[in-house]
Amino acid sequence: MTLNFPKIVDYLWATTFLLQLVLCALLFIRGYFRRLPFFTAYISLNLCQGVFLYAIYHHYGYNSMAGYVAGWVSEALTLAARVFATVELLRLVLLWYRGIWGLTWRLLACVCPMVLLSIGAFSRSDPQVLVMQVDTGFHVVFAVALVLCLGLIHYYPIRVEPVYKVLLSGFCWYSCARILTNTVLHGYSYAEYLHYWPMWQTLAISSYLLVLILWGSVLSKPLPPMLQRQALLPDSVYTDISPEINDQLQAINRRLMNFWKIEEPPQ
Amino acid sequence: MNYSVAVFASIGLLLLLAMAWLVFSATRRQPRVIRDENRERECIHISKLPQIKQALADSDFIYLNERGYPALARRIQKERRRIALNYLACLRVEFEKLVRFARMVAAMSPNLAVAQEVQGLRLNLEFSYRYYLIYFRMISGIGPLKAIGTLSNMVSALTIRMETAMSELGERAALGAELLPHNRGGLDARS
Repeated sequence: MTLNFPKIVDYLWATTFLLQLVLCALLFIRGYFRRLPFFTAYISLNLCQGVFLYAIYHHYGYNSMAGYVAGWVSEALTLAARVFATVELLRLVLLWYRGIWGLTWRLLACVCPMVLLSIGAFSRSDPQVLVMQVDTGFHVVFAVALVLCLGLIHYYPIRVEPVYKVLLSGFCWYSCARILTNTVLHGYSYAEYLHYWPMWQTLAISSYLLVLILWGSVLSKPLPPMLQRQALLPDSVYTDISPEINDQLQAINRRLMNFWKIEEPPQ
Repeated sequence: MNYSVAVFASIGLLLLLAMAWLVFSATRRQPRVIRDENRERECIHISKLPQIKQALADSDFIYLNERGYPALARRIQKERRRIALNYLACLRVEFEKLVRFARMVAAMSPNLAVAQEVQGLRLNLEFSYRYYLIYFRMISGIGPLKAIGTLSNMVSALTIRMETAMSELGERAALGAELLPHNRGGLDARS
């Protein structure tokens, strides 16, 4: 009836719990939950997951089947909540950029299946690590999608409030950290050792703890006011100007290609 | 350790680096904006610089070589190469200004064509690649100075066409001006 994790995991767990509690309090007391309902739900769900798993692991032990099932089922729920929270943040950033928002969705619909297929091709055909690989696959797709979205925002003249930037990069950082943790630990076959799960927990919780500190620091300040509605140009402006610019760019590139064919001046 | 570990670890690291670049390049953008503005001021007469083309013409070098001043010809050529490099940088500023305009229009449009945007990105990358190719060849001294003039004409023509298009936007120019202070793109909201 004892929790088998080493003390360090206990401390990390407790710190994460406290930080999430503070974050939840911030979100509710300052009324941020109205603007960020899915993000608030995600933090709350994580908080509940922590308490739930602590109880399960304490009761059944982390190596038990109950602990395994409870761990991964609750993880699936929080991952779903994470997707909703991320979409919510992106929606806030791209609220008045309808064209970019549509482009983002089309791009993701095209890229995500390709990434999934690639993950399938490169994954190990080992049933023992299937769940871990699914988890890694999710984080890869999630991080690729998020980096693509951040890339699009970077490419176009879109104003992003620092608070949203930090929240989004926190999600991305955590996914990247999970990809590396899952992959490297499995790569070195730590799964066969007794200390695999405590080590995995330590690394996963530590990276999440960093994200929580980052989020806490930005949410401790007031949220920026909502962006005012931006007037959009008529469709015709884009359909007229964009091909024109592309034609001109193409002409420049054609000329540049012939650049070296111009006669070299005699020395 | 098998190949899948190497692949996934590389993907994780690459994504991490990409994210860091996207976040931190935006926070460092402010000084670049100022630098670009200085450059824009320097390049304000870019489309009215026949003197540059004149300076790049080979007749002076031929004349000096024929008169028996090869050292002087080399020195002048070196100086003019430096001018040409500056001019090339100005052309890039001009080009980027136009690309920014295209992105601004795209951001303010309710519907975007994926093919157009992908083509724009591809052409932009192509330009960058060719620009740097020319730039490094110029630095290494194997670039024909004469060709700079041709490049100038191309960008100047595009500038005029875009300026016409912008003026056609009429009263919407105010909207564009409103967007311009932070139209350097990306994740920086502090500008």
